[in-house]
Amino acid sequence: MISANLRFEGFDATSWTNLVSLFMPGLPDRLRRAPDPSDAPAADLGGRASGSVLVVVDEAGQVLAATHSQRGRIRELGGTTLELGSDAPLVALAARCGAHRVLALREGVMEELAERLALRFRADDTYVAQILETFRAARELEAAGQLRLWPNPLQNVPLPSAQTLGRAVDVLLPDGRAAVMALWDGDLWTALVLRRRHGEIDLVAGPELLTRWTGPLGGDWRRDYRVMVDAVARMVAPVHVGLFAETPTVRGLLREADAGAWAREVAVRNVVMTPMPRAFMAALGADAVRGVGKASARALGGLDVPKLFGSFVPIVREVRARVSHARSVTEILGFDPLAVLGAALRRDGGDVDDGEAGDTPEF
Amino acid sequence: MTKAPAARHRARPRLDGAVLRLGDREIPLLSGALHYWRLPPEHWRDALRQLKALGLPIVETYAPWGVHEVPRTGGEGVDFDFGAKDPRKDLGAFLDLAAEEELLVFLRPGPHINAELTGFGLPSRVLEDPEVQARSPRGNPVVLYFPPRMFAVPSHASEAYREQAGEWYEALAAIVAPRLYPEGPVVLLQVDNELGFFFRSGPYCQDYHDDAVALWHSFLDERHGGLEGVAAAHRRTYGSWAEASPPSSFDASLEGDARAGELVRQTDWAAFAEHLHSGFLRHLRARLGRAGLGGVPTTHNVSIGEGGAPISVPGLAAEVDLVGLDYYHAAREHRAIKRRTLYMAGTVSAPWAPELGVGAPAWFTPLSHHDSLTTAMTACAYGLRGFNLYMAVDRDRWFGAPIDATGRPRAEATDWRRLIAALQETGFHSLQRRVRVALEWPREYQRLTRATHLLGAVSPAILEAAGGSPIDLCRGDALGFEQPIQLAWWEDLARVAEALTAANIPYVYVDSEAPDARFEGYDVIFSPSYELASPRRFERLARLAAAGVHVVFGPRLPHLDETLRPHAHPAPGGAAPTTVRDAMAHALVADWIDRRSLARPYATMPPVETCVHATPDGEDRVLFVMNPGAAREAEIALPRPTVARDVIRGESLSGESTLRVPLDDGACRMFVLEVERRKAPRARRGRS
Repeated sequence: MISANLRFEGFDATSWTNLVSLFMPGLPDRLRRAPDPSDAPAADLGGRASGSVLVVVDEAGQVLAATHSQRGRIRELGGTTLELGSDAPLVALAARCGAHRVLALREGVMEELAERLALRFRADDTYVAQILETFRAARELEAAGQLRLWPNPLQNVPLPSAQTLGRAVDVLLPDGRAAVMALWDGDLWTALVLRRRHGEIDLVAGPELLTRWTGPLGGDWRRDYRVMVDAVARMVAPVHVGLFAETPTVRGLLREADAGAWAREVAVRNVVMTPMPRAFMAALGADAVRGVGKASARALGGLDVPKLFGSFVPIVREVRARVSHARSVTEILGFDPLAVLGAALRRDGGDVDDGEAGDTPEF
Repeated sequence: MTKAPAARHRARPRLDGAVLRLGDREIPLLSGALHYWRLPPEHWRDALRQLKALGLPIVETYAPWGVHEVPRTGGEGVDFDFGAKDPRKDLGAFLDLAAEEELLVFLRPGPHINAELTGFGLPSRVLEDPEVQARSPRGNPVVLYFPPRMFAVPSHASEAYREQAGEWYEALAAIVAPRLYPEGPVVLLQVDNELGFFFRSGPYCQDYHDDAVALWHSFLDERHGGLEGVAAAHRRTYGSWAEASPPSSFDASLEGDARAGELVRQTDWAAFAEHLHSGFLRHLRARLGRAGLGGVPTTHNVSIGEGGAPISVPGLAAEVDLVGLDYYHAAREHRAIKRRTLYMAGTVSAPWAPELGVGAPAWFTPLSHHDSLTTAMTACAYGLRGFNLYMAVDRDRWFGAPIDATGRPRAEATDWRRLIAALQETGFHSLQRRVRVALEWPREYQRLTRATHLLGAVSPAILEAAGGSPIDLCRGDALGFEQPIQLAWWEDLARVAEALTAANIPYVYVDSEAPDARFEGYDVIFSPSYELASPRRFERLARLAAAGVHVVFGPRLPHLDETLRPHAHPAPGGAAPTTVRDAMAHALVADWIDRRSLARPYATMPPVETCVHATPDGEDRVLFVMNPGAAREAEIALPRPTVARDVIRGESLSGESTLRVPLDDGACRMFVLEVERRKAPRARRGRS
């Protein structure tokens, strides 16, 4: 799925950081974090909750070593015990150490993981297949009580095969096509062009390359996006899907748990999706339908919500009726990737994860 | 082929500290990276010109084996394409163009180069050869998890790998040998890249390849004097060399003499990894010479995480002419940049960064322009004398270089141009930072740290590279000693370093395996010591104490050697051991200041730090002011009325006895100093 000949180009430090921070909301704060206050060993426990704790225990659960990702080695845990059979001890440890996450491992488990991966390793597998094997091996060790992660955002997410994942990507970005996203925050904030060729993503291009292809832009994003789509089609491949918006809109949507949020922003053209392939249209339609159901209970910014969302319903019906193969990504994978992403982003950004997992559009 | 710009100087290039001498020319080690095969040849000239416009006299490039090697047309085997088929691969044309543009060349031909290439630039046929692949304890390949493809890493011990790497050098020599200086522009050659088991450097990740095990046995033979000596050191019975197998786990359940033997075996294994890497470098350098690529200085680069890596910087420095550290840091990693540079400033003759990250690969934590520039200036503050901007010119799988992939300068290029101009103007490569205190970095304890690491493939080096320390996940038990030595040495050094910083006393770290000459010229040497120590280290400390150096050691006078046999170590200077717990380090440093009248140049209040660099005749020339904390105005004591010109902002500050310097949070400012009678006309006076 990721080509061995992958090209990644056209980003400067700012545009790349902007793009990454979209999916890692806590990143800018982490990058700006103050340097360590001292050369000397730091205080161990307490402090504002942040970062992760990594702890290694022996067969009896006795802590052999522990470290905090931002505060270094934790000495006070030596000699204590930690059970890996449930989340509760890890939750308590996180509270004690002032951490958001805990990864607990039995001594020797990393060596075991490496050996299992080596046995399954195939040089000609795609990177995604190789990563999925890594997750699979880690789950086996988790099931055997050799490691435990809390919180585990993938706990209830079934691991798809590489082939299944490939079919899901077929829906999002078919072979021989390109996808483009551009976000503005006054000026062009970041952009991303992906191309899929021979079944694999072989190009990841940034705003510098995109604007080289377009030539000078007018400065109004609601017009410039058309130039971008044309340029990508001319220079890269026919565009399968394009997403254009102002940065705060998309940042909010990625963390938004509300049903109908995506459909609402597309409907009022705060988000421009063009071209909009049928699977995306269906997903937005489904999102809109769920939004209608919820909208009766609350007002949404003075919009005529049922009317707005209702406009998607015929689209959904039509797509479902006419396109028998328009299965959603969620159906293919068995889980909703946007819901998982949204939950992870809310957690990364420090928000409480109280949204309903199924409330984002099912792609 | 175009002659090098300096072909009139017929002498071979040689390194003299951080300077490259080409006859009567003196070239500072300032270079920038450009990957010719990743750019269309029509952009080469513009990119080279812009690189030169940054003020860099040298262009650096890898030569990727896996890119140049191609299947032989119509038959079995391989050929090498140096531009006959693909003009991007025309290395000869690129080198000639560099010469035409009056640039010298620093060439890095691998065999391993990383460069974010799939398979780290090695041909897939080599990586897939079972004879080449490193082996895990169970005999499996050792897989590296880097995108966009995982791959099985080669064994540095593999004879098959060494032979094939030699063949690559021979193929390359056809292009490069005629272009070595003075006939051509190539003045430096790097041997391999970032040695350290390809980041799979946990204590039991590798290498259990048959050729590695054979080398392990010969290493033990030499270290302990035969199989009986090995058995005695390991407290085991070995009937044959086959029984002296490498460890694949740490048995913490042993007690008494058996535990001592286990510790010796484990630290032998850690020492062997260093030996293996140094030997591999020696082998490759010899192959370069045999291929006709001798005659120019050789280098090697060490990746981030050297404090926990299975390499010895002094060991590598003995095999090539220059060893440097790679720097990829966020500005917030002030402490790590400082520690790493001070280690090199003490341990090698010319602290130099073969890769000073400007931007980063896509799969790194993003680094900003502020991060890269602050890292460069902070490293220079603590003694870095030269660097290679990596990347100077942008390319595939990279972001953030100051020159884009078409050869146009980005906005960030201006700051780099100013910094490099200041380094050139001040002759920074020849300046000196007066340091009278050295902290010894005991390698025997560092090996114990590696041996007790608990997280396998997430090695001490990776923890360090990720912003932690190599001791973060070592087992914490004392292993029969009074305290866990594997942790204590690091923490004790850190306490003393902290106290020295607070007192504005310059210091460096010196690796205990550095040449004896690296320990000369200090007034005070602090050396952590516990129950065990290297006899050579303590003999040297005793000699230094006898020569008048104030040697401080402790908290124990060791009574064991590295094999944990009783040994009567001399107490340097007849002194008692010293403890540096808690506030004791500050008291210790206060005592040194009184005892040796240690100067506190350009003193300021913590957390602000200053570093001053002087000309060889003693004139203060460059002042760095760093603020690892929140924004503030620093007050810096001046030895005389001074004008200080900020090399990036261009503004001048002045003061009679105090300089007030506004500092953003995390800032590092570099000032060129002039005594006030020579101050610039537009200088703004400070408040004092």
